[in-house]
Amino acid sequence: MTNQTKSQFIAVASITSELSAVMVVAKEISLAAANAKAIAFRAGDKAKGFQPITDFINELAKETIELVTNINIYALVLYRLTVDEFQKTAAFNKFELAAKMAEDAVYAKSMEGPVDHARLSMQDCQRQFKRDVSQLLGQLEAVMHHARAARVIAANSRIEASQAGEYLQSLQAVAESVDKAAHTIHDNVQRCRIALSIYRNS
Amino acid sequence: MKMTKIYEGSHQWIMLGRDEGKPGNIIDTNQYVVRTPNRCLLLDPGGAELFAPMMAAVLHHAPVDQITDLFASHQDPDVISSLGLWDQALTNAKLHAPAIWEGFLRHYSCESIEYEPIPDNGGTIKLEAVELQIIPAHYLHSPGNFHVYDPQAKILMTGDVGAAFEAPDAPVFVDNFAAHVEKMRHWHQRMMPSNQAKRVWIERVRNMDIDILAPQHGRMFKGDDVKRFLDWFDALQVGIAV
Repeated sequence: MTNQTKSQFIAVASITSELSAVMVVAKEISLAAANAKAIAFRAGDKAKGFQPITDFINELAKETIELVTNINIYALVLYRLTVDEFQKTAAFNKFELAAKMAEDAVYAKSMEGPVDHARLSMQDCQRQFKRDVSQLLGQLEAVMHHARAARVIAANSRIEASQAGEYLQSLQAVAESVDKAAHTIHDNVQRCRIALSIYRNS
Repeated sequence: MKMTKIYEGSHQWIMLGRDEGKPGNIIDTNQYVVRTPNRCLLLDPGGAELFAPMMAAVLHHAPVDQITDLFASHQDPDVISSLGLWDQALTNAKLHAPAIWEGFLRHYSCESIEYEPIPDNGGTIKLEAVELQIIPAHYLHSPGNFHVYDPQAKILMTGDVGAAFEAPDAPVFVDNFAAHVEKMRHWHQRMMPSNQAKRVWIERVRNMDIDILAPQHGRMFKGDDVKRFLDWFDALQVGIAV
């Protein structure tokens, strides 16, 4: 296996592991939002400004979970494509070697067809991989966008929480957990994007 | 890769093996080519590591588009792990292989090659005017296993039966049966699981007219050495690991 193929395998496989962590965190945000909603309900007028925020956080968490689910499915397609590319590259290399070893054979020329076909198959795979990587990078960007939005909401939540009297601490804890979760999501996804982006133009 | 023509008539048999470039840690194998005017059959075409030298050798005898048939005696990687590569190289080919192994062999990738499953009681492979018989040899060693007999060339290709392990420069035919026996003994005792299966096979093969017995490993047997091998194998206790 070439170093390029090996690192492609690793890059694509690492996305799955990073994203499973993102999924856990997104579910935590959803839980935090549910908690916040309960607290805001108990706080009544004191946390009036907090209530619509909890719905928004919940919505954001759901969308993040949906995005990540779709990305995971797509990452699997990409992984299969990497395996396919590896097999096609191996075939092309072996066909080229056979053609070279058969230079003095009566029917050496008949190997040109399989070599050309294998080369085209390999190149098709490589092009498809780059296209799919670009698409996946776009999807990952969407998750990062949601994570940034969540951090902004977390900042607003702190402000609203400061008005909530005895519920201040509980609501600030919620805001803190949302911010931390969003930060984790952002960093995990950023790592995926960095790992993949070298293949977009390679 | 060494090429040895072992029969020439209206068709040819060529034995390919003793590849000098073979990695040291993989088992040596014999591959056989049956060539008719417009078609070519590869018997036990070999492992993935051997694909390039094997294809290069075949190209001395046939163009790629006339490689129309592959035969796999059983499922082992040294027999047929190159299948995925042949599958990408050949545009119009069939694989004759045990029906029992179809779902397994497809793991090597078999999308463009057509799988011709061989039922347990055997069959035939027709290559233009040549008709080869597929002879059941189950449990020697694989539970789904076949040999190929050419009544015209009087060659029986026997897969792992008759196998021995030799130095790379060993002759292709046995020239001293007594000395050869010790190279075969442990393999047959350890790898062949069933004395009953062995007896059934020997009874069947003794009725065949064989000039050359051609295994997948080691030297071939010709003339009187064919009978010597059958007698030796008949007397050997196999299945020693239990």
